[in-house]
Amino acid sequence: MKKIRLGCGSASWGDMLDPAVELVEKGDIQYIGFDHLAELTLSILQRMKNKNPKRGYIPDLIPWMKAILPTSTKKGIKVLTNAGGANPEEGAQEVAKLAKELGIHSLKIGVVTGDDVFPRLPEIRKKGIKLKNLDTGEEDIDRIADKIVAANAYIGSESMLEALQKGANLVITGRNTDNALYVAPMAYEFGWALNDWDKMGAAVTIGHIIECSAGCCGGMSNFWFQVKEPWRVAFPIAEVYENGECIITKAEGAGRMVTEWTVKEHLVYEIHDPKNYLMADAIADFSNIRLKEVEKDRVKVTGMTGKRRPDTLKLCIGYEDGWIGESEISVCWPDAIEKARFCESFLRGRFKHLGLKINEIRFDYIGVNSIHGSLSDVPHPDEVNEVRVRVAVKTDTEADAGKVRREVTHLWTHGPVGTTAVISPPPPRQVVSLWPTLIPRELVPTKLTMLEV
Amino acid sequence: MKRIQLREIAYARSGDKGDVSDIGLMAKDDAAYKVIKEKVTAQKVKEHFKDIVKGEVLRYEMDNLNSLEFVLRNALGGGATRTLGMDQTGKAVGQNLLRMYIEIED
Repeated sequence: MKKIRLGCGSASWGDMLDPAVELVEKGDIQYIGFDHLAELTLSILQRMKNKNPKRGYIPDLIPWMKAILPTSTKKGIKVLTNAGGANPEEGAQEVAKLAKELGIHSLKIGVVTGDDVFPRLPEIRKKGIKLKNLDTGEEDIDRIADKIVAANAYIGSESMLEALQKGANLVITGRNTDNALYVAPMAYEFGWALNDWDKMGAAVTIGHIIECSAGCCGGMSNFWFQVKEPWRVAFPIAEVYENGECIITKAEGAGRMVTEWTVKEHLVYEIHDPKNYLMADAIADFSNIRLKEVEKDRVKVTGMTGKRRPDTLKLCIGYEDGWIGESEISVCWPDAIEKARFCESFLRGRFKHLGLKINEIRFDYIGVNSIHGSLSDVPHPDEVNEVRVRVAVKTDTEADAGKVRREVTHLWTHGPVGTTAVISPPPPRQVVSLWPTLIPRELVPTKLTMLEV
Repeated sequence: MKRIQLREIAYARSGDKGDVSDIGLMAKDDAAYKVIKEKVTAQKVKEHFKDIVKGEVLRYEMDNLNSLEFVLRNALGGGATRTLGMDQTGKAVGQNLLRMYIEIED
């Protein structure tokens, strides 16, 4: 039976490069996917593009391709990446330049666009489409209309598939669904029809398992304590068979592990309703999936099915929403908790005295309750050696947010005895809030452009 | 009857989608799955998270994987990009669920 091996080279902007290089060199793969986009990323990239129309792709695209392309083109491994971000065209031009410098002359780049609907929002709203907020239930985007910085739809695999059919060995896209990076090669290699819902469901499921890089092979794992060499990380490979089954594995000799547990951990991750995992290419149904470890570091996945794809695409709108100022300082034994409360009281009073317009404020006692909040077991005061006091404040203006770090630094000399560990606090950051919504699929046509080096 | 903490019989992994926290709760074996399926209801999870989860809690069953999926709405301070909280993407919410106490047969 025909099989192909697909590797995952990245799960986010800032993911590790060397496990991806290891996959290309030793993974015996035919495809590798690189996801660099989280929900917020497009807003950051769009602002970069606003400042300089030549930017707006993930800056890592260039060093990553420099590390990957010489080997991938030599071995015939095809690369799919969404690092085009807010500007896939310019990203592709830069990669083409790089390829020439590297002496690569066999690169066919498919550039996929169409996910960016920001310029078309007024036209879309004129059609009577209200873009209701899925988180808050707000019906209409009027309130935020003049603060929007980005609006990108999560597109599926169609134009990527077309790129592969036209001979592309590198596909650069913007905001496609993460798993479309893997759905496209499976549909291309096996000739699966894009309306064969069980096969598309299987492709989406396989994409989901590997798209988070180390997430299915020992990253974020409950079994972290079994890892013998923490510094050795592995990225996963899906060995996919024509019948829609697959084996999840990793490169020979790579670190970490692939077990039924590590694959299961990722199957249950961020999926909402397991019978209806909604993606642009299909609705995957996880309710009949079986996992079986057939050899060491090889887990067979069977029973994937799917249903007709949704008529709408997820649309993520980012809008400017004020500023956050935050800072930290440490207090120590004895009476660490009492000293932390003193610091909190100092800061609340100082902010009031200075007339800060505060929309939201939060204190965390790091080491005591900053992660699990009110459910934390608070230790006996005598057992607390130190507390790191953190304050975070949401304001309308950068100036107000900037005052937060100055006041926290004052605790060094105006706080309780032993207050210390002042670090250079982060500058205020502008908040981009997200407005998740849905958009009819037919309003988001995608486009493929081919570029040859 | 005895009182046990969920961490003794289950693993968890959690993440986010906007202001929604998603938890996959994986029973350690078949017997443990029967227990969590009976005891760890959406209502119980909502009560467990007290002031932390402001919205509704939904539960989905995955009998084939001995797992339950929980969807916690309005649970991440507005979502990763705007929250003042430290667990911006809800990676630690699943561990917090494992603190839950349940009563089981001896």
